[in-house]
Parts: sequence; structure tokens; C-alpha cells
Amino acid sequence: MWQKFLCRQKPNKGELVSESTPSLRRRFIIGGISIISVIAALAINFVFEYSQRLADISYDRLLRSALLQMDENIGLVHNKVTIDIPWSAFATLAQANDDRVFYKVVSSSQGFITGYRDLNITPPKPPQLDKIQFFDREYSGEMVRFAWLERHLTESESTGTVRIIIGQTRLSREELSSSVTERAVEVVLMIALVAVALIVIGSQLVLRPLHRISRVLEERQPGDLTPINIKTPKETHHLKMVINHFMARLQTNLEQLENYTADAAHQLRTPLASLRALAENARDKTSPERQQEALENIVTQCDSLSQTVTLLLNQAVVSHRMQTNPKEPVDLLIPVTASCREQAITALHKGVSLSLEANVKRAMVFGDAFALQQMMQNLIENAVRYSSLGADQATEVVVRVEEFSNYYRINVIDYGAGIPKEEKKRVFERFYRGRYDTAGSGVGLAMVKDIIDHHTANIIILDTQPNGTTFQIDIAKYQTAHGAEDFML
Amino acid sequence: MKWFIILLSVFFMGGSQFVLADPEQRSVEFGQKDAPRVLRIHSSIDLASFGPLIEGFVQRYPNIRVSYKDINTLEMYNQTIHDSRSPQASLVISSAMDLQIKLVNDGYAQTYHSFLTDQLPNYAQWRHQVFAFSLEPVVMLVNKDRYPGPLPKDRQDILQTIRQYSNFMKGRIGTYDIRKSGVGYLLASQDARQADTTWGRLLEAFGSHQVKTYCCTHEIIDKVASGKLVLGYNLLGSYVAQRVKEDTHLKMILPKDYSLMVMRVGLIPKKAPNAHDAGLFLDYLLTNSVQKRMQVETLMFPIKPDVMTKNTLNILGKSGPQRVVELDQQLLVGRDFAKQYRFIKSWEEALEITH
Repeated sequence: MWQKFLCRQKPNKGELVSESTPSLRRRFIIGGISIISVIAALAINFVFEYSQRLADISYDRLLRSALLQMDENIGLVHNKVTIDIPWSAFATLAQANDDRVFYKVVSSSQGFITGYRDLNITPPKPPQLDKIQFFDREYSGEMVRFAWLERHLTESESTGTVRIIIGQTRLSREELSSSVTERAVEVVLMIALVAVALIVIGSQLVLRPLHRISRVLEERQPGDLTPINIKTPKETHHLKMVINHFMARLQTNLEQLENYTADAAHQLRTPLASLRALAENARDKTSPERQQEALENIVTQCDSLSQTVTLLLNQAVVSHRMQTNPKEPVDLLIPVTASCREQAITALHKGVSLSLEANVKRAMVFGDAFALQQMMQNLIENAVRYSSLGADQATEVVVRVEEFSNYYRINVIDYGAGIPKEEKKRVFERFYRGRYDTAGSGVGLAMVKDIIDHHTANIIILDTQPNGTTFQIDIAKYQTAHGAEDFML
Repeated sequence: MKWFIILLSVFFMGGSQFVLADPEQRSVEFGQKDAPRVLRIHSSIDLASFGPLIEGFVQRYPNIRVSYKDINTLEMYNQTIHDSRSPQASLVISSAMDLQIKLVNDGYAQTYHSFLTDQLPNYAQWRHQVFAFSLEPVVMLVNKDRYPGPLPKDRQDILQTIRQYSNFMKGRIGTYDIRKSGVGYLLASQDARQADTTWGRLLEAFGSHQVKTYCCTHEIIDKVASGKLVLGYNLLGSYVAQRVKEDTHLKMILPKDYSLMVMRVGLIPKKAPNAHDAGLFLDYLLTNSVQKRMQVETLMFPIKPDVMTKNTLNILGKSGPQRVVELDQQLLVGRDFAKQYRFIKSWEEALEITH
């Protein structure tokens, strides 16, 4: 586990496939720029059309004004229709500085009256009397905007209609519209540029807290798993929490590992020392019988050591399982029965009879079968071991499983020496060595406590009457939707 | 009426039926005969005024030869339209601003840009196709020795003198024939536009006193100088100023009620040969040194006010309000077919000219 942990502290660049996945920032910028470009293009297109219309509206007013001034000055002289074009009419048109002017006045009875003879055009829509029409036509090599009006002669002596056509080249209109467009395009482009700049800067700003967090993590000492406490915006709070949480779990793992290592070393040192002492003893013995006896002791000690190693391994497996394996519905009786069966022979060797009393056929709980079995094994082992410690040799250890309304109760009862009151609270502490714990497991009850905590169960130590100890465990029933009872039946 | 029919044909039938001026009319050559480039100028300006400037031009550009033809403004207009497919002239210069504007409006001129022409104020150019290089007052000329009574200060004074010395004034006033002279028509139509009533009375008084009409300014000036006329009305200031300088009997008067200010304007016809040198010549006329020379030698009045000498400013300063005839679309109104018909007709009737 240490090896793995160290590996994570020095991330191998090759493992992170950052090159192949697109950058969030680049995607953000490219997306933003393309949207802004589309909007800018639409805006420019709109402005272009709008400015053309605007220019036509403005300059059509001049044209209409000139036309009306001319119209006003149509009259009869010696019974002939004629027109006296006022200077002001063309002064109006001269406001379009450089635009050429073409016009023609005709009457239905006399034909051509004045203007340009070859200006023979018809409006695009069917002509309507008294209605001014505006339209573009090419004349004299240039595009010309024309106003066209035909009306009845109102003088009493005259009949028929008179038609006025007046046109103006489009130079000023194009100038106006392009100046409007130019300005608008400038503004649109400026806004677009500002928006792009904001996106670029904004993306930098938005991602900066992430960079800060990663930098802080990178700069840490390999073993530093304390929470990150740099100030970052609210939006990254969750990320920080998750990282901190993850690190806390790592920390727990690491601590457990450290504990386990310490446990193991601790557990192995004493038997090794005693082995060494026994071996020295055997070496120094002169008589073969004594030597034989000493060797016998060594073998016993080896057995005990092997047992301890097994226990440690089991504990490692249990703690690993509790970290990694999800809990599942388990029939409590299975691990209880299995551990009883496993310990029965060992107990008999020590002159203790082990019995299991259960008033249920199934006892479903939510947990880990292996861990529960380890827990039971430890408790039974302890009970068997200490049965022989009392004043008289106790001959019985009882494991009892009872059902209550929403929990199961397991009692492991022995009739040994019992635990003094002041020690009861401390036996679950790691490496606590009371008298009760002479064989040197020292870790067994601590592991029991871990497993109990893992299952959110409860354990208390009671005195057995007349003497001895009872470990009483309450563990919640597994609740299905229909209730545990239904499941059982 | 004959004149009118001719005018009609000129303006509205493309001038093709019009009998053009004598094609053999001699042009005056300037510069070296073997110069590789030829610049043909059609102009209504008297050589006395323009000659020195052209001399200066060919001295500055020795490889350009200038062929100068002095033509009446109206003929020049017709000729330019007639020649529009392959123009003879590289440059057309006239003081009949309205005819020049009409040539531009009807698409006979080409665009020219240069640093100097771009500096011209708006009223002194139109569409970058017609450019002014001189701005001069329209004046009255009197023979001090022969003029009865006090010298006139404005148009009212003339009417007063005519009334007072009715018999003497008969046949002793000269002005343009607006049917023959483009400038004459322009000035008359602008007078009518500025002060219609005064113009009507003046015309009536002229008519009842057998006013003499001429095609050209210098004829009127000659007649006034010789004493056959005592008053010339609506004459171009530059010509008059020249003669007044030499002849102490004559006096140039800028009317106090208002003075018209007209320009001499040049344009380059479309498809004109050697348009490049025509532009060069226009630029030459607009350079400060030439503008200054115009007035120092009393050739013309410059268009650029910043080069004016004290003398010129004195002449102009003595006058009353100035009415500058600007180069824009309004000038087209004066040459409107119907308006022109009526205007000439009423002029003929007022002056009791029989056809």
C-alpha cells in the first residue's frame, strides 16, 4: 500500500492523457468567438440594409420636395401648359452635393414641355394619378433615383394630365449609407473585439482557482494530506471539499496502515524475543531431557507466533475489506456458526466446551460476512483462552444469538476470571494489555471494535455470574421494504 | 425668333444641325513647335488676359505645346457636345458657368483629382469635374467725361440718370446680347433671380432708350472708351479693370446694392486627348504664384482669397453685398428649356427687338 501511495504522489506525465483531450479554455474561446462572429456578421448585414434604406428615406424627401415645388409652378400661359421651375427646387436638390439632376415635364395634350427629351421611363408599378413613386433606373450611364408624378391639370381651361419626372444620381445616398455602415461596423467590430477579449481574460480568470488548487497540491510534501485551505471562489468550493474528503480517506487509510504495521511489529517482537530466550535456554541445557523440554517450549511458542501472524493477516484482510467491499445483506448465523465450528477443536484441547445457542433460523444483517466471522473468532478465542485463567478451570463458553424487535443480540459468555471494572473501558484500545490479554494478541479486541464500528453495532462488556465475562453485541436487523420478518419467512 | 430656334436645336437636338463656328478659325500656338505634347485649350478668355499665363506654363513645361482657341461661350458649349465622341479640346474654359455645369450634369466632362483641386471650396468646383480658378465681380463701366450727372453708385442711380437725361441716354447704354453670349445670359438670369423688380425696371428703361447689345465684353468697353456709349452694364470685372488702369477717362463701378461674383471655370471633356496635361494646366492656374500673378498684372481676379493684394481687396471692398454665383445644380434652372424660352422672349419684348 505504501508503494501505491508513493506512486500517486509523483504522477507520471505519460499517464495523464492531457494532450489528446481538448482544452476547456480553448473550447470556451473558440465557441465564444464563433458565436460572436455570427452575431457580428448578422448585425453588419442588418446595418448595411438599414443604412441603404435610411439614405433613401432621407434623400427621397429632398426629391419629393423638389418635385412638389416644380408641381406648384405648373401653370397656363396663353392657354399653354408651361412650368417656371423655381430656383429653390434645385437648391433643395443641391443639398446632395455632387449628384446630377435629370427631369422632364410632359403634358398629355402638348407632349414635351421641358427637361430632358430622351428621359422616357415608366415607373415599376402601374402609374396612379396624384401618387408619387420612387424608383431606381439607369440613365446617362449612372444609376439614378427617380420621383414620378402624374396628375390632372386643375385649371378650368385645360384638360388632361401633366407628368413630372425628376431624378438624382445616388452618390450622396451611397456616401451617407456607407458612412453610417462604416461607423456601425466600427462599433460592431469594437464590441466583438471587446467580447472576445473578455472571453479570453474571463476564461483565464475562471480557470485560475483550479490552477491554484493544482499548484498547491503539486507543491506539497509527499506525505502531506492535510486539507486544502486556500481561499478560492464559491464555485470551486465543492471541488475543494471533494479533494479534502478524498485526502481525509487517504489519511485514514494511511493511519490504519501505520497502525497495522506498528501492531504487527509489536505482535511479533515479544514472541520473537521469547523464542530467542527459549532457544538460548535450550542451547545452554546440558541434559538431553531438559533440552527436549526446551525444544518443546520452542515449538509451542512457534505455534503461538504462527497464530498471531494469522490473526494479523486476518486483521489486514478485514480492514481492507471494510475499506473496499460494500456491505450486503448477510445471514449472521453463518459467520457465527463457522467461527464456532473452527474454534470448537481448539477449545476442546484446552478442556473447554463451546456451545452455540440460537433461537432463530436466519438473522439477516447488513454487513460483511468475513469481518463478522473474524470478529466472532476473536471473541470466542479470547473467551476460550481466558476460561483457563480463573481460580478454577472453567469448562464452558456459550455463544448465544437472540432476536429482538429490530436487532439481534450475540452474547459470548465465559466463566473465567473476568475483567476488573476499571479495565473494561480500556480493553478495546489498541495494545492495551490487561491481564486478560496475556497471549499477546493485544490487537484482537481493537479489531473487534473496528468491525463493530463498521457495522454501526454496539458492544458492551458484562460480568458473568458468578464469575467471568460476557461480551454482548447488538446489531441492527437488515430492513427490507417488507420488513425482516417477511424476508425470513 | 430665329435665334430662339437655333437655341432650341442647340440644347435639345445635340447641336448636330447647328452651324458651327468657322472651322478655319485660327488657333494661337504657344511654346516650342517641336514639343512632343500638345495641349488644346478652348476658351472664352481674351488672350490679353490669358496669354501671359499660358506663356508662363510653356516655359515651366517646355515639352508641352499649347494650342489656344478663343471661342464664344455659347459656341464652345455646342462644339463640346458636337465633338463629344472625339473631342478636339483637352480643356474647355468658360465664364458661362451655367453652360459648363450643364455639360457636367449631362455627362460630357471627366473627373480630375489633384492636391490643388481638392483644396477648392465646394462652391468653386462640382463633382471634381468642373473647377474655378478665378472669381471676379460683375461691374458697370462709365465714361467719366461723357456721363451726364453724378456717377452712378448702384442700379437705382442708373434708372435715375436715365429718367433725368432721357434723351441723352438713348442709344448710349451697352450690355450683352443674351442670345449670343452665354455669359450675358448667365448674368441677366442671375440679375433677374437676385432682384426681379429692379431687373424688370432696368430692362424696361433699357428698352425705351434703345440699349445697344453686343456679343462680347471688349466691344462694349471699346465703345465706352471711344465715347459712343457712356455706360456699359454687366461687364466682367477683369477686362474692365485692365482698361481702367490704362484709360483715366473710364471708371469701373461695383454696384452698391449688390455685385454678382462669377467664376471662370474649366473642365476636361470626356475622352479628351491629353487629359493629363489638361489637369496639369488646371493645377498650374491654381498654384499660388500664378494666382498672385493674375492680380499683380491685372489679368484676372484669383479664386484664392489668401493671395489677394491690397489693391484687389480695395476694389472688392468698396462694393456692397456680393452675390457669388456658386457652382452647383441650381445653375441648371437658368438653362431650363421653358425658362430660357420665356426669359429670352421677355428680354426681346422689353428691348423691342424685332425679328
